Amino acid sequence: MQPRRPPPPAPGSGPWGPRPAAPLIALLLLLASVVATAVSESAEDPGQPQDAGLQRRLLQQAARAALHFFNFRAGSPSALRVLAQVQKGRAWINPKEGCKVDVVFSTERYNPESLLQEGEGHLGKCSARVFFKNQKPRPAINVTCTRLIEKKKRQQEDYLLYKQMKQLKNPLEIVSIPDNHGHIDPSLRPIWDLAFLGSSYVMWEMTTQFSRYYLAQLTSVRQWKTNDDTIDFDYTVLLHELSTQEIIPCRIHLVWYPGKPLKVKYHCQGLQTPEEASGTEEGSAVAPTELSNF
Amino acid sequence: MQGIPGGGTRPGPSPMDRRMLLNFSFILAVALGQMNFTGDQVLRVLARDEKQLSLLRDLEGLKPQKVDFWRGPARPSLPVDMRAPSSELKDIKAYLESHGLAYSIMIKDIQVLLDEEREAMAKSCRRERSTSSFSYSTYHNLEEIYSWIDNFVMEHSDIVSKIQIGNSFENRPILVLKFSTGGSQHPAIWIDTGIHSREWITHATGIWTANKIVSDYGKDPILTDILKAMDIFIELVTNPDGFAFTHSMNRLWRKNKSIRPGTFCIGVDLNRNWKSGFGGNGSNSNPCSETYHGPFPQSEPEVAAIVKFITAHGNFKALISIHSYSQMLMYPYGRSLEPVSNQRELYNLAKDAVKALYEVHGTEYIFGSISTTLYVASGITVDWAYDSGIKYAFSFELRDTGHYGFLLPATQIIPTAQETWMAIRTVMEHTLTHPY
Repeated sequence: MQPRRPPPPAPGSGPWGPRPAAPLIALLLLLASVVATAVSESAEDPGQPQDAGLQRRLLQQAARAALHFFNFRAGSPSALRVLAQVQKGRAWINPKEGCKVDVVFSTERYNPESLLQEGEGHLGKCSARVFFKNQKPRPAINVTCTRLIEKKKRQQEDYLLYKQMKQLKNPLEIVSIPDNHGHIDPSLRPIWDLAFLGSSYVMWEMTTQFSRYYLAQLTSVRQWKTNDDTIDFDYTVLLHELSTQEIIPCRIHLVWYPGKPLKVKYHCQGLQTPEEASGTEEGSAVAPTELSNF
Repeated sequence: MQGIPGGGTRPGPSPMDRRMLLNFSFILAVALGQMNFTGDQVLRVLARDEKQLSLLRDLEGLKPQKVDFWRGPARPSLPVDMRAPSSELKDIKAYLESHGLAYSIMIKDIQVLLDEEREAMAKSCRRERSTSSFSYSTYHNLEEIYSWIDNFVMEHSDIVSKIQIGNSFENRPILVLKFSTGGSQHPAIWIDTGIHSREWITHATGIWTANKIVSDYGKDPILTDILKAMDIFIELVTNPDGFAFTHSMNRLWRKNKSIRPGTFCIGVDLNRNWKSGFGGNGSNSNPCSETYHGPFPQSEPEVAAIVKFITAHGNFKALISIHSYSQMLMYPYGRSLEPVSNQRELYNLAKDAVKALYEVHGTEYIFGSISTTLYVASGITVDWAYDSGIKYAFSFELRDTGHYGFLLPATQIIPTAQETWMAIRTVMEHTLTHPY
């Protein structure tokens, strides 16, 4: 599985790029700290709290980034996945370059009803290689997942969602989803799923080895156009970043149709840093044939 | 408007009169099917003699009717009260004035009073409800919680009392519930919820827990033993100003609402304002940041109140600070990776507590020190507690792990509270059996 866009060749590293000086790179990586962990969900041995705890966090971070990317690339609001458990992994930290993480984790369907109870239902399995470039966003990701939902079923569900969306009356009047008490009206669920899909792209781009994002709330719908061959959705969400606890408003504009590549444009408000985050992805999802093992 | 003979305007009707009249108008409103009385006034007229009285009676007899009398013309020297619809006001006043009838305006706008009355009634209805009709499976606002506290204390006054430990920045009372079976200055356990106002699941869990304690006392042998030897203190709304703000304006508000001259952002992160590693990594000196630590340790009244209380008490043995979300149970330190001296003991206790929690609904928590499990954070509650000699200091992050985050559906309140209780109980039991 190739990442959608190969990372620009970085000097001396880049596991996927051309390797004219492979032995040198291998040496460099060896010299950098190498920590391998076989981790299950429970806590670390307090004997080495720093290492194990940090390791666990890094593996979690990588798994989440990989999932954001995976969800975005799959472009399917009915087949969104969330992290169930990190199963094992290994991280290489190179203070100059960043960190590379190999991680294996299980996933569940993004469906609130099934998440409420003790994990019944299918668990998909993914393995990913994530490269966090020293605190720069847009980690490079190579991720493969076992099939959770039959391809045909997924396409059917996407079409169903699309049809439901076409029938929505006045989504422009939506105040917030979920409401302040955490409730999502079942009829508005398709909007939420599509909003989450678009947000996945944003969250992937903004994730670093230290910052982790969650979708907190959809706060407004500026535009909702359903044509025969697209849904044009312009909306605002609030993202929650865990380490700074900041709430970040992002305006996202996506164009979606079942089976077609997802197009996303976004702009997030910066806070202490004057830079704001924004990005555009056109025709981004890979063609369906490459997802044969999905 | 003509004054009453004797000069000056008369003071309005007495409270009794007014109430009687209002009730009358309220009944009227109901009877007339929720009519609107906007702009209608009630005029009080004093007729000097029979001649003036009959003029008033003439008014009554007019067709179509222009006034309705609440207190009809009876004898001179007795006031006559009449409701004048807003559309007729001008004519009626002209009539009265042209005939030399002295009047005063008793009620300037009936509808306004009706609305106020209705609201006050609704409020007192809520206040009067007992805790048995209080729903533990929905989220409540500040007034509802404070009202529940009063009812709760009243209903369980044998073991529960309410203490006000201070006032918030916007001058709201800061309240603590004390659970005690007597004795003086028993060793004590502290629990706080809602230090970050957007974490609504924590207040809801605290309320359920308070009720659980009184329900299970005498039935659960472990809890009964705990309460026989120790006191429990629960501060349900540790950040009342922030909490009110999450209901009125911004559901995702985290900090308190303090304002300082010169800074144009509001609020301090109350969980960065404690005197332990204050200002270090994992806190922010920018007032606009969500983790702004404030100008100096304990600068915030909400934090100062707790410090004062716990320090003065002098006999706290455990402290549990409850947050959301992430599903974690953690112990100090947050400010650094340095392990505490009894780390092994806290690790094992956390492990047991998390296991007890898991057995309720299968919810998985991770555990460890704050800095290694969640992130480095300085000036936090549990670090201060530990440094003050409280060996068993824990921080919870309740459900969920990011799916709903702060906006946890109300349907998860009771399951969350049930499982969290088992973990809290485990910590309390350990504290009881390991006196120091």
